Amino acid sequence: MIILNCADAFDTWRQQARWLLSHQINPDQVSWSVQQDADLFASDTEYPDEPGPFRARIPLELLELLQSAAQFCGDQRWTLLYEVLWRVSHGDRTAMLAGDKLGSELHRRLKQVSREAHHLHAFLRFVALPVIDNAEDVAAKAAMLEMTCLPEYVAWHEPAHDILRTASEHFIGRMGRHRWMIATPKDGVFYDGKQLIHQPVCPEAWQSLARNADDPHGNLWLTYYSHIFNPARLNPKVMQGHLPARFWKNLPEGPLIPALISEARTGGQRDGQAREIAERRGKVIRGKPATSAVSDAE
Amino acid sequence: MQLIDKLSILADAAKYDASCASSAAPKRSSEGKSGLGSSTGMGICHSYTPDGRCVSLLKILLTNFCLYDCQYCVNRRSSDVPRARFSPEEVVTLTMDFYRRNCVSGLFLSSGIIRSADYTMEQLIRVAKLLREDHEFRGYIHLKTIPEADPALIEEAGRYADRLSVNIELPTQLGLQTLAPEKEMGSIKQAMQTIYTGQQTVLNEPRAPKFTPAGQSTQMIVGADETDDSTILHTAESLYGDFRLKRVYYSAFSPIPNSPKSVPHAAPPLMREHRLYQADFLLRSYGYSANELLQGPGHLALDIDPKLAWALEHRDIFPLDLNRAEPAMIARIPGIGIRTTKRLVELRRQRRIRYEDLTRLRCVLAKAKPFIITSDYHPRQAESSSIDLREQLRDKPQPQQMALWG
Repeated sequence: MIILNCADAFDTWRQQARWLLSHQINPDQVSWSVQQDADLFASDTEYPDEPGPFRARIPLELLELLQSAAQFCGDQRWTLLYEVLWRVSHGDRTAMLAGDKLGSELHRRLKQVSREAHHLHAFLRFVALPVIDNAEDVAAKAAMLEMTCLPEYVAWHEPAHDILRTASEHFIGRMGRHRWMIATPKDGVFYDGKQLIHQPVCPEAWQSLARNADDPHGNLWLTYYSHIFNPARLNPKVMQGHLPARFWKNLPEGPLIPALISEARTGGQRDGQAREIAERRGKVIRGKPATSAVSDAE
Repeated sequence: MQLIDKLSILADAAKYDASCASSAAPKRSSEGKSGLGSSTGMGICHSYTPDGRCVSLLKILLTNFCLYDCQYCVNRRSSDVPRARFSPEEVVTLTMDFYRRNCVSGLFLSSGIIRSADYTMEQLIRVAKLLREDHEFRGYIHLKTIPEADPALIEEAGRYADRLSVNIELPTQLGLQTLAPEKEMGSIKQAMQTIYTGQQTVLNEPRAPKFTPAGQSTQMIVGADETDDSTILHTAESLYGDFRLKRVYYSAFSPIPNSPKSVPHAAPPLMREHRLYQADFLLRSYGYSANELLQGPGHLALDIDPKLAWALEHRDIFPLDLNRAEPAMIARIPGIGIRTTKRLVELRRQRRIRYEDLTRLRCVLAKAKPFIITSDYHPRQAESSSIDLREQLRDKPQPQQMALWG
């Protein structure tokens, strides 16, 4: 058995897989492990460092599939990719199709990965950092963060797969010249207004900055969220299907959800209006239509 | 009044419009530019409220003061609701704030009718213009169109907005006369025509300024009057055909506080709205016609989906051999969607399709089984009658959970 460690990096895995393939090493003779002490070549057979004689030809499309699927965190993360690669390079293209047993697992992973990228685009929340006027303070703070300049917006996000590096590019187009930083329990990214810097291990200073950012103006969004909800159509199951509960804790609106649900239940779901609006004084508009009566009344 | 108070009133007043799409806008990016925002063509749902609806855009009214007295509407002039009005600058502030937070992908702005249709439309345009020109905002903008507004104003709106929508609300002239006396089918369709003409003018003109690149949509209220599903679906079909609408939204009538006697006091079953969306999807993406789904007057079945209903009425076509059938016909098999159809066609180029492939492709096998043949499977149920099949396949009513206080 050959046990390899690619440090969860696709490029490293690719080099290893290319070498394995060139020596025609069967997928059942190799596995990947993240253990530091993995015995790299604990094999009965001695293999040379140089590539072997087998020249595999694979479609470019497969390489792209493998690269995306490699972001999936879970059992057999790298071994599965090698199995797919093995079969396709030996002429069995069904291995990359969703109808195949192995292919369906590949596609399940691809789907999870793209869903998780979408979750980042959707559920990440930026908080604006207070502006620091003093240049010395800016420099000191930047130095502490090991950055050349300070981010204007920060976010804390907990993705289930290794999607941050590629999926965060989305925010370059969205945020324009603004500088922003995203910290996760694993890695982090910082966009300094010109380029995106990825840290495979997120610095602790980034994490603590992102997790503890004050948000004095967060109430507007919470108000909006509470009032766009229609309690007469309460359907928490559908909501949970789209917005898995694991994201609630990092969403500012997350803590509101249980109360909104229970209030809608106890309110008997008679109509769509929020209770707080129903309790306010209303205003019937008198006067004939198509006159200026309303503008006077405003 | 504080901004936050206005927001609570004008968001609460806007929740009855079902539309929330932020998709189909042209690709725009702010990379290396001043300003803010992008669109990738894909919609993003930034949150979900406990009613299961997505929050994609900041959906608010500019004001809920309104001259009209549409009986189904919480903001009608005779309604006893708190009223508020944003200034255009306030809407811009809120949009930009929520956008920077990554809470929304843009703005969906509607309004009650104040002073006149033209004045109201001008106010909506002013917001879009401020966003696009003063703030270089490249996110999504959806503006409600006031049907009676000057066509020149509608054209101007279409140059700033990704999407315009004119709500038909009720599919018949009679329904409008009864419940929305200030509205008129003629002017609603005229406004749709103005938007359609604007789109046609820039079609195939890559250098022309964009005009509602994400198309136009409308909404029909379901269950505010007696109109049946057949009328609703046939109306939707002709709107898709006549004005190339991108979407028709269906909004189950939501009872409103101090409801007038002219509208029901209870909501229609939400399942009815769901079935209409399913049928609508079959019109838009599967090539069904409204006549195939509902020949005469009446409602869609609530206990089976419209695709299954169609298949049960066309048993002579089934079972279909998945190794031979035309892709368009495979897509008509209950439990097999367009995506699975594509995957099956891809797979059968490599080898014969077997029954277990369908499990892996996550077909709804319980539904598909009686209607398919694979290289190793022939349905026993092919012999059973449609009535028996329907009984087997229909949604059994879930035991109702009692609301805590009845």
